[in-house]
Amino acid sequence: MTTRGTRTGQPPTPLVSVSGLVKRYPGVLALDHAHWSIGAGQVMGLVGKNGAGKSTLIKILAGATHPDEGEIRLGGERVEIHTPHQATEMGLAFVHQELADVPNLTVAENVELGLGYPKRFGVLLDRRRLRAKVRDVLERLGAEDINPKALVSTLSVADQRLVMIARGIAADARLLVLDEPSASLANEEIEKLHGVVRGLAETGVAVVYVTHRLDEIFQITDWVSIMRDGKLVLACPTDDLDKASLIAHITGAAEVASEARERAVLGAERGEELLRVEGITSPGVVEDVSFGVRAGELLGIAGLVGSGRTELVRLIVGADRRPEGRIFVRGAEVRIHSPRDSRRHGIVLLPEDRRSQGAVMDFSIRKNITLPVLARFRPARTVPMPQVRRERAMAGDMVSRLGIKTSDIENPVRFLSGGNQQKVVLAKWLESGADVFIFDEPTHGIDVEGKGEVYRLMEELALAGHAVIFISSEFTELAGTCSRVLVIREGRLVGELTGDEITDQALVERCYEDAAA
Amino acid sequence: MSSQASGADQAAAAAAAERRRQLVNRLSSILSRYGLLLAFVIMIIAFSLAKPDAFPTTDNLKSILTAAAPALIIAAGLTVPLVMQDFDLSFGSMIGLAGGAAVVLQSQDGWAWGIALLVALGLGLAVGVANGFLIAYLGGSSFIITLAMGTVLVGIEYAFTDQKTIFSGVAQGYVDIGQGEFLGLNNQIWIAAGIAIVLWVLLDQSELGRYMYAIGGNPEAARLSGVRIRRIRLTGFVIVALCAAIVGILLTSQAASSVPNTGVPYLLPAFAAVFLGSAVFRPGEFNIPGTVVGVLFLGVIQTGLTMLQLETFVINLVQGGILIVAVLVSQLGQRAT
Repeated sequence: MTTRGTRTGQPPTPLVSVSGLVKRYPGVLALDHAHWSIGAGQVMGLVGKNGAGKSTLIKILAGATHPDEGEIRLGGERVEIHTPHQATEMGLAFVHQELADVPNLTVAENVELGLGYPKRFGVLLDRRRLRAKVRDVLERLGAEDINPKALVSTLSVADQRLVMIARGIAADARLLVLDEPSASLANEEIEKLHGVVRGLAETGVAVVYVTHRLDEIFQITDWVSIMRDGKLVLACPTDDLDKASLIAHITGAAEVASEARERAVLGAERGEELLRVEGITSPGVVEDVSFGVRAGELLGIAGLVGSGRTELVRLIVGADRRPEGRIFVRGAEVRIHSPRDSRRHGIVLLPEDRRSQGAVMDFSIRKNITLPVLARFRPARTVPMPQVRRERAMAGDMVSRLGIKTSDIENPVRFLSGGNQQKVVLAKWLESGADVFIFDEPTHGIDVEGKGEVYRLMEELALAGHAVIFISSEFTELAGTCSRVLVIREGRLVGELTGDEITDQALVERCYEDAAA
Repeated sequence: MSSQASGADQAAAAAAAERRRQLVNRLSSILSRYGLLLAFVIMIIAFSLAKPDAFPTTDNLKSILTAAAPALIIAAGLTVPLVMQDFDLSFGSMIGLAGGAAVVLQSQDGWAWGIALLVALGLGLAVGVANGFLIAYLGGSSFIITLAMGTVLVGIEYAFTDQKTIFSGVAQGYVDIGQGEFLGLNNQIWIAAGIAIVLWVLLDQSELGRYMYAIGGNPEAARLSGVRIRRIRLTGFVIVALCAAIVGILLTSQAASSVPNTGVPYLLPAFAAVFLGSAVFRPGEFNIPGTVVGVLFLGVIQTGLTMLQLETFVINLVQGGILIVAVLVSQLGQRAT
């Protein structure tokens, strides 16, 4: 793909280039011999679905993780980036989506943090010179309206991002990577941001612009790199693409349309409505969401990271602050204040982040699987002392049913691969007697084979008369399994697709922008 | 470009790496599991050789056990909140408050000793509930809340004891609890053994104990599994405060008197014993059998060093040093698991 990357407009020696980058995580190939490069003064859009490999590439450049194979070149010379500090010294600067500033320090102190503050007598902080220096940097950015003396905590999110950019400039960055810099910014703030980016590019700084807002790609970038499945699939001048072809390349629709799995005929005979939510609202996160799910149905919820999909289901099961709105189970209104209430009403959530929410990593497989149903192993109703022998039998059963690969069910979950950990989290709930199963990104970090097993499991649950909600940002898998898909964007339901309407492309369009745009 | 290993090769390599890792884990867990027991045995042999007439005797064993009994009660109680990653630094003051209250009610107010004893236990219950409510329900840091609570408790104790030592008017029935014997052993030993067994069953054999370990391992996973985290954390604080009240009663009953702020010397040894214990049997995990070994270990050191007539400062240095080593050893175990 590098051959295609060196078309018109690309300088002969790129500022930064990577080739043959491979990064494996347990059970997943995050980067698969990826090639990529950027020249000085370029504004490069970097796009791809979640899990396409963008963030792994950025982390490698930032020295936050190390590639298993492949090389990085800076100005044509091979370099190794072991630590974030080295990356900074090489002139690579990163502005992450989560603000990494220190809120209780001033703008000036943040900009120069770690770069060596100007000193008087060699020891005392010279605030005046510090402010002057930072004022210069801000002027260079065209952000002179930010007061260097202000506490960062008093700034808007947009200005805080500019402060982070200023930090990169103060460190003499040659490459600036902006990861979703426009997230949670208003339109005029985005325009200001774009102005800053353009100004920097004119002074020769290479800018990598990661975004899920495709319109922005056309507004601000002059070159675009598209990643998919850990590879760079296309790098070309932005003008060579239109939005439709951009989406097609992001999803790989051109190549994978034929791969779409035959959709299971589920929910055809509509069962009883097991769960219905009306007007679920948590200000600023989820706005007025209503939907229902029936017995035997496999309902998909499509949404990007940060769209509010995870927050929505956490609100439903009472994991967070109680939302506005009403919840009905089998037609009767219920009040759910905690995950415990939700379980009692037969609704269980299999959370997205299994390490921090799903599993007790130091517990054995057995103890994890039996945790939600521990009371079932009492020797007598009133004796709350679980019988390990019966626990073992049940856990052993689940392990073979789900094909969890382990030598011993007494092994800590920590030692399992990502996919097997996820299966343990699934196993926890299968026997819980629940009616409604909510799977939040259940295939995240699982290899292809494991994914197939998870789909089969969800289908089996639906066929057994349960209601299954399947949240994913991998739209091909929703298209392959679900009979109905809701699309959530910015906390609102923005679309509902059924049957043959559910295609990867249709979901991408609705997730990114209004279909009309 | 390097060649890509085939899937089968990768799986085999991964399996081999897994086996290697398991072997290393097993070795390091054996080391941390039996290291402390070995040190314990060596110490007993060393003290026996150094003081053959005084150390390895039945009388000495009995006196070590009697002295260790209150330490065991409080250390076993402390193990429960620690399993859930909650600290309690108020139990030292709770010991003093409970003991002081029981004695003052008898000697100054003329209450029946049984009632005074129940009031002391009631205070333990109340303080445990207060700690648990402030920490588990209102979200305070256990470290700071219990530290502050300890100060409050000392204040309350001083308010009604006037910071005076009280050694008159303590009922004989009350004194018999701590001084009496059963089957040739001091009552306190039996009480401590009983409490240790109850808490072992609780933590190791019961549903509640499983939930407690789950909360310690991953509170969010436990909560999403339907575990009542707040209530169970509160229970942990109640258990340690009740144990502290029992220790306060035993100490004042044995001494037939109440000394201001009796409990504070128990603070560090209790933590030391629990952390030492987390290096045995289930490395990296707080557990009652481990705590029992930890308490006996410290008891033997204390008695042995005293018999060698070492200066107090040496005893302090050795005890502090052992806590540091114990914490590091238990971290080693944690990394291995």
